[in-house]
This record gives sequence, C-alpha cells and structure tokens, in this order.
Amino acid sequence: MQLVVHRLSKAYGYLWALKELTLELRSGECVALLGPNGAGKTTLLKLLSALLSPTQGEITVDGERFVTSSHRLRSLVGLLSPHEHLYEGLTASENLRFFVSLYHKKINRLETEKSLELVGLKDWSDQYVGSLSSGMKCRLTIAKWLLLEPRLLLLDEPYGVLDGAGVELLESYLRRLCSGGGIAVIATHHVQRALRLCSRAIILDHGSLIFDEPKQEPWESFHRAFENFAPRENGWSS
Amino acid sequence: MELLRQTTWLLWKDLLLEMRRRESLLAMFFFGVLLLFIFNFAFEIPRERAAEMAPGLLWLAFIFTGTLGLAQLYQAEKENHCLEALLLSPIDRGALFLAKVFFNLLLMLSVEVVVFPLFWMLFNLEAWKLLPSLFLVAFLGTLGFCAIGALFSAVTLKARARELLLPLVIFPLMIPVILATIRAMEILLRTGAFEEASPWLRLLIGFDVIFITAGFLIFEWVIEA
Repeated sequence: MQLVVHRLSKAYGYLWALKELTLELRSGECVALLGPNGAGKTTLLKLLSALLSPTQGEITVDGERFVTSSHRLRSLVGLLSPHEHLYEGLTASENLRFFVSLYHKKINRLETEKSLELVGLKDWSDQYVGSLSSGMKCRLTIAKWLLLEPRLLLLDEPYGVLDGAGVELLESYLRRLCSGGGIAVIATHHVQRALRLCSRAIILDHGSLIFDEPKQEPWESFHRAFENFAPRENGWSS
Repeated sequence: MELLRQTTWLLWKDLLLEMRRRESLLAMFFFGVLLLFIFNFAFEIPRERAAEMAPGLLWLAFIFTGTLGLAQLYQAEKENHCLEALLLSPIDRGALFLAKVFFNLLLMLSVEVVVFPLFWMLFNLEAWKLLPSLFLVAFLGTLGFCAIGALFSAVTLKARARELLLPLVIFPLMIPVILATIRAMEILLRTGAFEEASPWLRLLIGFDVIFITAGFLIFEWVIEA
C-alpha cells in the first residue's frame, strides 16, 4: 500500500489549517504525527480518512484518487478518535456486529466474543456502551479494528484514556498491523511513547510540514526540531 | 442487494435504540393524543361538515407529531460523533437516507394507528368502513413527509437553533404532499370512492417518488457537507 499526499491544503473559512502538504506513506510504516495544538494534526487525519474534502491538492492510495465517495478505499481506512464513535444505547457486542456489517463483512458471535476477549472485554459483551469507561470504549474500538483489519489506521491521541495494559494492547496491535504491510499514523502529544513505537516522525506547525524523517539513532535532527517547538507550547513535551 | 442489506442494518440499529429509549415514540404518541383532545375541546364538527374538516385537523396533528420525531431523527448519530463513524464506513449514503425515512415512517405509522380511531371516536364520526382506505392515503402522505423530513433534518443537522429552523424549512416544501393528502382524504370521506380521489392520489404518489429519489441521490452531498 502506498499513500501519497500531494500539495494538500485545507481551509476553514479564512483559516488555513493545512498548507501545501506533500508526503508519502509506504507499507509497514508507523508514523508519529507531532505538533502543538492547532498544528493541523486532526485535520490531516480527517483528510486522510476522507471525512473532510481538501480545499486544494489530493490524496492517492495505490495510484487511485481518494475522495469522499471512494467506498472501496474507505474499507481500507480505520480511525481511532477521542470521540469514541460507538452507540451508547447498544451493547459492546451489538456495536461490533453493527459496525462490522457496514464493512461488507459477516461475523458470528464466536468471532465477536474472541475479539472482545483479546481486548479484555469478554465479561462486558452484553453491557451497554454507555455504562463503559472511556478506556473500555477505546478498547472496544480496538476490537472493532481487530475485526475489520484496516490497512491504514489513523489514531488521534490514543494514549489519553488507556491504562498501561491498554497501551500495550494497542501497541502490539499496531506492530502487527505494520509488520503485515499496513500503515499506522499516530497523532499525539505523548512524544516519547510514540517515538518508541514509530519508524518515522512528522512534525507540523501552523499547518505546514517542518520535519519529516525516518527514525535513527542518535536522532539529533529530531531533537533540534522538537526543542524549537516544545518550549512555546504548554503541554507539548516529551 | 447490498443497499438493502445496509439499509436493514441501519434500520435495525435505529429501531433497537428506539425500543430501548422510547424517547421519540412516546413523545410523539402523547403529543398526538394531546392535540386530538385540544381539537376536540376547541372545535365542534357538525356531521355534515366532517368530510371538510376532519382531514385537515387530523393532518395538523400528524404534522406536529411528525416534526417532533424529525427533530430527534439524528440524535443517536450526534452522540459520540457516530455520524462520523458511519461516514467513515464504506456504506452507500443513500442507505442511510432510506433507513432514516423508513424509521421515521414506522414511528409515525405507529402513532397514526392509535390516533386515527381515536379521532373518529372523539368527533363521533361515522364511516368506520372507510378507515382502511383513509389509512392508505395517510400512509402515502406520511411517506412523502418522512422523505422530505429525513433529507432536511440532515441539512439542518449542524445548524444552530435547529429545532426552530427545521419546521421553517420543511413546511413550505411539504405543501404539495399535505394538500394532496388532505384533498384525497376529503374526497374519500365525501364520496367513499377511491376513483374520485385518484387524481390527488396520483399526484401524491408522484411527489413521494420524486422526494424519495431526489433525497436518495443528493443525500451524499447533504450529509458530507
């Protein structure tokens, strides 16, 4: 899988959230998307998942233009968002069955139970999602992506609500995804955590790309770029 | 076939959520019954004028209760940004529109099944044998109402003061459907013959087809805007 972003720009009214962004993501890459608040990380994830249409530029997946109506390409993309994306009035297993059915897949109860067991929610399968904690909802979303097996997984601040075991679960899933040829993009402020996992780092600031390099040891250039931005952004630190 | 499968799953989800919460149905049911009682206290319908007045009053009740349901139509999708999750999936956007139309239709028909006979009893109307035919006309009218409602409820989804805006947008557009339904019911009540009402029924079916087809085709742009 190859995802190419070519001169991508997004404006909200007069405000440019992303400006002329060009980058290429290849199979097996796990990318840390870093930057202060308002840098354009979430906008980029929404554009990559075709939830937003770009103002200018384009995204192609394996040479095919990815637009909001690309139903086939949509089935390749997963998004783990802080908004949970789960129906509170449905149980954990009903949510899984419902969302998986929308992706042209059929699953039986056994597969649902197995994925819930993998994320540590087996005993909660018949509980309404409204009664689950934020961390459990995040685990349930991971169970959803375990069943759907997307090739491109976009994660928007995934570490905020997960406990230690949850983070390990997520990271082992992401390692498996990338070793199987998938692509993961993690937008986060937990820089050290993301760098431990990722093979490449991208830093955005005010909608522009200011750093994009594969991971290396020692990573002087990253630390220089990071230190230029960290001091002026409260809460954006290693 | 895939469209039907997706529509069924989306409808299943909406019905399941409604069965558990009973928010829309109960509110619509009580509001509909309440309106009938208010009408009953406010108006005295002489038997010879029943054919003229009954359809209008009955539809006034249906429109108000239906609007109540439309305001809640996308409520489940607003919670936890579930609409985003649906748009992220590879479903046909038309399936989402159809599921919402059928869901609102089922809600409104459930209310109408109770409100219709109650109206007849409260206003001492005769012609009970015409009830099935009148219900069929009401079904066609309700279908048009739901198609316009599901589309414009999505249009106003992100608007501020949505509850105020929605009736202002949809009521003018619903005039042809409401007019055709009331006229067809009035003729049926007066003559008892379906054939007499057929020009209005044809018009009503035409509007239903137009609104469902147009809604299905443009829903993708509406919901992703």
